[in-house]
Amino acid sequence: MNPCCKKLKTPSMIANKMTFLCAIVFLLVSFTAVPNSFPQDKEAPIKIFGYFQNSFQQWTTFQSRPKQNSFSLQQLNLLFQKDLGTNWTAFIDFEFLNNFSSGRQWGSAKLEEAWVKYRANMRFNLKLGLLVPIFNNLHEIKNRTPLLPYIIRPLAYETTFSEFIPIEVLTPVRAFAQVYGFFPVGEAKFDYAAYVGNSPNINNDPSFTQTGIDTTSTFLFGGRLGLRYGELKLGLSATYDKDNSAEVLAPELDISPTELSAIPKIRLGGDLSYSFADFSFESEFIKASLERESPKLERNLDFYYATLGYNLTEALFIYGSYWFLDSHTAILALPGDSIEEDEDIKTTTFGASYNMMDRVRFKAQFARVKLDHESQLLPAGVVTRVEDDFSVFSLAVSVFF
Amino acid sequence: MKAAIVTILLLLGWAETSFSQVAVIAHKSVPMDTIKKSELLDFYTGDIKKWNAAQAVVRLDLKARSDTKKAFYKFLGKSPSRMKSIWLKKMLSGEGDPPLSMHSEDALLQKVASTPGAIGFVSQRRATGDVKTLFLIEKEK
Repeated sequence: MNPCCKKLKTPSMIANKMTFLCAIVFLLVSFTAVPNSFPQDKEAPIKIFGYFQNSFQQWTTFQSRPKQNSFSLQQLNLLFQKDLGTNWTAFIDFEFLNNFSSGRQWGSAKLEEAWVKYRANMRFNLKLGLLVPIFNNLHEIKNRTPLLPYIIRPLAYETTFSEFIPIEVLTPVRAFAQVYGFFPVGEAKFDYAAYVGNSPNINNDPSFTQTGIDTTSTFLFGGRLGLRYGELKLGLSATYDKDNSAEVLAPELDISPTELSAIPKIRLGGDLSYSFADFSFESEFIKASLERESPKLERNLDFYYATLGYNLTEALFIYGSYWFLDSHTAILALPGDSIEEDEDIKTTTFGASYNMMDRVRFKAQFARVKLDHESQLLPAGVVTRVEDDFSVFSLAVSVFF
Repeated sequence: MKAAIVTILLLLGWAETSFSQVAVIAHKSVPMDTIKKSELLDFYTGDIKKWNAAQAVVRLDLKARSDTKKAFYKFLGKSPSRMKSIWLKKMLSGEGDPPLSMHSEDALLQKVASTPGAIGFVSQRRATGDVKTLFLIEKEK
C-alpha cells in the first residue's frame, strides 16, 4: 500500500474509532440516565441482613477416625443489598464456615458474591461481578440455609465438606457475568441463563503473579434452560471450561506439565422438582468429566440425588433423601501401565425441620453413609479395596436476621 | 308479609355472599381494570415487578392470619408458608423484597389508596371507592 494513502487513512480511522467510542459512551449514559437514578434525598437505604446455622453432629467410627461429637457454627452469611436505581441493585455476600477463626486457623471466610444487577424486565436481567451462576435447581441457593430442610446438604452442594468432596469440579462455583430471565407462554414459563467466568486455574502463589486471578486465557461458559408450569420445575444445565489441575501429576509421570494442561471439562446437569398438595419432590443429576487422550487421563464424577418431602403441618416438614456420588479416575502412568481409582459414596438420609417462627428453624437429620473405594495398578493387577460405612446424626438451628 | 320475608331472606343471602368475597384492590393509578389469576400470582411471587415501564408494583400482605388471607393465597394455589418460602428465597438471592405486611385490613386499604402502584386484598365489604377493585375471589364456606 502507498504510504501516502496510509497517512491519509489514519485520521479517518481515528475518527471512526472516536465515533465508536462516542456511541458506546452515549449508550452507557442512556442506560443510566437520570430517571433511573435516585435523587440524593430519596436514596434507598442499604439493607443489611443475614443468616447462620449452628449444628451438633455425631459421627460414628469409620476408617481410622474415632467416633466424634461436635458443635459448630456451620455457616454464617452476611448480606448487603442496595437499590442503586429503579432497575439497578448491588448485592454482597460474605460467607464464614466451620467456626471461622483466622487466629486459630479454623474454617474459612470468603467473599461469595459481589455483583450489580440490571433488570430490564422479566425477560432480561444482567448480573455483573462475582456471582453464583445458575446451574440446576439447588446450586444457586445451596448456601441459603434458612431455605433448606437439610443440615448436611446433598454432597455436591455441601460447602463445609469441600476439603474432601470435589465440589468445585462438580459445580461451577462462580462466574462473573450472567444474563437470565424467563418468557411466559400461557401458564408456562421458559427460563434461560447464560454466563461466563474464569476457568478453574486460579493462582494462589504470590511469587508467581497476582493471586486470585485466572492464569490462563480460557473461560468458563455455561447456562441453563428450564421450564416452570405450576408447581413443576425442570431444566438442563451445562458448562465448559479447561482445567490445569492435573499438571501436578507431571513430575510423577515424568512428562512436561504442559502435556497435562488445559484439559477440557464438561459438566451436564438436570433438575426436576414438583409439589403436589403437601408432598414435594426434587431431584438432580450432575455429570462432570475431564478427559485427555494422550497421555491418557480421565476423571468422571457422577452425582444424583432425590428427595421426597411431606408437610405434616404448616411448620413441620419431614423428608427422606438418597444421594449417590461416583468418582472414576484413570491415569496412564507409563505405556501399558495405568492407575485406576473408583470411589462410590451412597447416602440415605431422613430428616425433619420445624419453623419455630418465620426466622428460626430447627432441624434434625440422620444419614447412613456407605463408602466403597477401589484402586487398581495395571497391568500388575494390584487391587486395593476399602469398604466402610458410618452414620451421622445431627441437630441444628437456622436463624435468619 | 310472605313476600317481605322472602325479600329479607334474599337480601340476607346476598349480603352473606358479598361478605364472603375477597376483593383484590389496587391504587387508582394502576393501568389495569381487571387482573388474571396468573398475573396476580406473578406479582405476588415477585416474578413481575412492574405494571408497565414506569410504575413499580407495590405488593401488600396482611400480617395476621385471617380468613381473607387464607382465601387469597388458596386462590393463588399457594399456602402462606409456601409464599413465605418463595419470598425468602428471592430476598436471600438479592432478587427482591417480600410484600409489605399490614396489621389490619383497614391499614392495608389506606396504604393501597395512598400508594401509587400498590396492590392488596381485603374483604369485599371493606373495599371503598378510594381504590380500584380488580378482581373478586369467592371464599369457601
